Amino acid sequence: MPGPLSGIRVADFTWVWAGPTCTMQLAHMGAEVIRMETTNRICTLRMLPPWHGGGPNPNKAGYFNQYSQGKRGILLNIADPEGAEIAKKLVAMSDVAVENFAAGVMKKLGLDYEQLVKVKPDLVMMSMSGYGQYGPESAYVSYGPAQVPMSGLSQLTGYKDMHPMHVGMSYGDPNAGLHAAFAVIAALFHRERTGKGQYIDMSQWESSMAVIGEAFMNHEMNREQPERNGNRTDRMSPHGQFMAAGDDAWISIVCTDDQDWKALCDVMEKPELADDARFKTLADRKANEDELEMVIMEWTLQHDPFEATVKLQARGIAAYPPLSSKQVLSNEHMEGRGFFVDKPAGAVEEPVRHAGIPWRLSETPAEVWRGAPAMGQDNEYVYGELLGYSSQQIADLAERGIIR
Amino acid sequence: MPERALEGITVVELGKTGASAYAAKLMADLGADAIKVEPPQGDPARALGPFPGHKLNPDASGTYLYLNTNKQGITLDISSEKGRAALDKLIGSADVLVHDFTPKEAEGLELVYDRIHALNGDLIMTSIFPFGASGPLRDYRAEELTLLSAGGWAWLNGWPGMPEQPPLKPYGFQTAYQGGVNAALATMGALFARQRGLARGQHIEVSVQECIASILEMTLPSWSYINVMAVRYGNRPIQPIEMMQCKDGAWIFALSIEEHQWQRLVELMGTPEWTTWEVAANRFVRASNWDALRPFFQEFVSQWNAADLYRAAQEKRVPFAPVSTLADLVSSEHLNVRGFFVEVDHPSAGKLKHAGAPYQLGGTPWEIRTPAPTLGQHNEQVLGKMLGLSKDEMAAATKGAR
Repeated sequence: MPGPLSGIRVADFTWVWAGPTCTMQLAHMGAEVIRMETTNRICTLRMLPPWHGGGPNPNKAGYFNQYSQGKRGILLNIADPEGAEIAKKLVAMSDVAVENFAAGVMKKLGLDYEQLVKVKPDLVMMSMSGYGQYGPESAYVSYGPAQVPMSGLSQLTGYKDMHPMHVGMSYGDPNAGLHAAFAVIAALFHRERTGKGQYIDMSQWESSMAVIGEAFMNHEMNREQPERNGNRTDRMSPHGQFMAAGDDAWISIVCTDDQDWKALCDVMEKPELADDARFKTLADRKANEDELEMVIMEWTLQHDPFEATVKLQARGIAAYPPLSSKQVLSNEHMEGRGFFVDKPAGAVEEPVRHAGIPWRLSETPAEVWRGAPAMGQDNEYVYGELLGYSSQQIADLAERGIIR
Repeated sequence: MPERALEGITVVELGKTGASAYAAKLMADLGADAIKVEPPQGDPARALGPFPGHKLNPDASGTYLYLNTNKQGITLDISSEKGRAALDKLIGSADVLVHDFTPKEAEGLELVYDRIHALNGDLIMTSIFPFGASGPLRDYRAEELTLLSAGGWAWLNGWPGMPEQPPLKPYGFQTAYQGGVNAALATMGALFARQRGLARGQHIEVSVQECIASILEMTLPSWSYINVMAVRYGNRPIQPIEMMQCKDGAWIFALSIEEHQWQRLVELMGTPEWTTWEVAANRFVRASNWDALRPFFQEFVSQWNAADLYRAAQEKRVPFAPVSTLADLVSSEHLNVRGFFVEVDHPSAGKLKHAGAPYQLGGTPWEIRTPAPTLGQHNEQVLGKMLGLSKDEMAAATKGAR
């Protein structure tokens, strides 16, 4: 069965993490995604560890390979005018173009929407820069890690009485990529119904604010900036990460109501705590939360977090240990569901494990048909088969630094 | 000819975590007709707040208002016979059904694909499950915090050099948002496939745990490629990539990714000797020597006010960023020129600026046409006019909710 985007071709000008996350979703759904790269300026993700077997080796880069699964890869120097012309030929044969350079870069290359729509009138083009294509700061440079503090998420996240925090990863990138992929398919849907393509201006900054939309209501309604409060919340208690038995072992436990709390007391074999005046109601537990957490930690410290999870879940309490990357990759539940993709990728010849696709479509399945490409892995297919260049012409383009 | 990308597409939404609400909002904001089905007592988000003046008001909860723009809202007791009959009728003419109940809850409510498919063979049903539809954990109870743990995100969030601090939750409902955007994306794929005749209706299953596990930066390949484990208290792989306090007490996010950016940053610092120091030779070396370098770097940052440093760095194309407060953002000139914040007038909550378009589609507008519904606001419109229920049937189906 073909994927929902089978027969759709994507001219992929993206790099680093946000853009490639967008085009990877399209590849998951069966689009033919052709990623253009150049050795003049190798993608950042290829230049960061981990490199399989040690490295550095840009063709064995795990960060790149994780987020370019299922794409084809060619070398093309679009900074060269002749290279830009070839890119246009590719766009003319494609349905979608995606880029995430700073605003103005595509125009400088002669590859902005105005130019590309001339060669492909019903093109769907997605630009996903940090700041968007217009506005006083639009030419500023930005990377995903910056979106976390810029969006307001850092001021809202943190341990109590400590400074603003990051969130542990460059969240602005994948979040932008997923929103972008949704918008691209919505535009393709519109094109399917009307024959009309369109241009999409997406700002990674703005898509980062979309996922803290409720926070702005504090400001709008009450002119308030919510205080950083660690893992706690006003609505539930206990609600935290508790140190458990083992090396840097923890367990997250949430009681949504008094009944959950009573069940937790049973599991801890301290049923008398349920009637303890300090902890009886949510208001009591909130008022004595430091003590409450100490009482729970006395128990968690004596238990393996996974064994404790089984006991708590058996009583219907939301609990789970924070999984390390190693534990994610060996998680039997996700493994059994076929979530992981064990495939060769780039110049890594043996199958190596990557995160897969978090959704299953029953009739038009998504799949990773191949690992990420090495640089230029599909030159022959794209230049020869698709664009119709002879091997002599391809060799000539390579010699003149255009296929580079 | 449709003016909006999803014009004419009917989305029926049920749920509780915010994931299905966000998925339906993404579609509604691009023009879909979204109908939110709430239990008679209302969606849980109506209790979450914030509330104007901190006064509990289920029609004015900020979380609910944000997540439910452009939707019609009806109340149904879907566990009752009449309520279920009304829901089935609604499903019969819809294009999409999205929900975020657990598999067990969905089975209890008979929200199972075989049954839904029999009602409407063209319907796309999207189920957002915390742990997916299969596997040993499928019926595990889940909350935002525990899903951050199960997906591998919580493990990564902490501060270098502070192992005693626990894995930290990012603000808000990030697993719900990620479940929602993934659900909207997969649903959009299925709508496109249907439009092209590749399939009729189908069932989409989304695992929130997997949504999180698939966005963990380079940390999974770090283990599978070279057996290196990321820890929340470990040092950053490159530097500078740090939040620091400026002269005026405001924070700056000091970031330099590429070496050419670092060279321009050194120019701005006015300390050319940094380029000759072996301990600062490149981003990796800087990171491994960051404990020693940090005080010097902090000294530079402390000479500036945050806003000035942001502009000065960006003028040199160094990607520094502000550590924004909500007030900073609402008053940002850049965001206001782009029209990001959209004022929405709500009958119960009044005029409030909402976070706006995550993307601007040139040909088909993203827009807020109507504010979030009050409880049962569209019962008459949807159940009466659209589905043709009598007054009595409506009362039975909604169990007397207004």
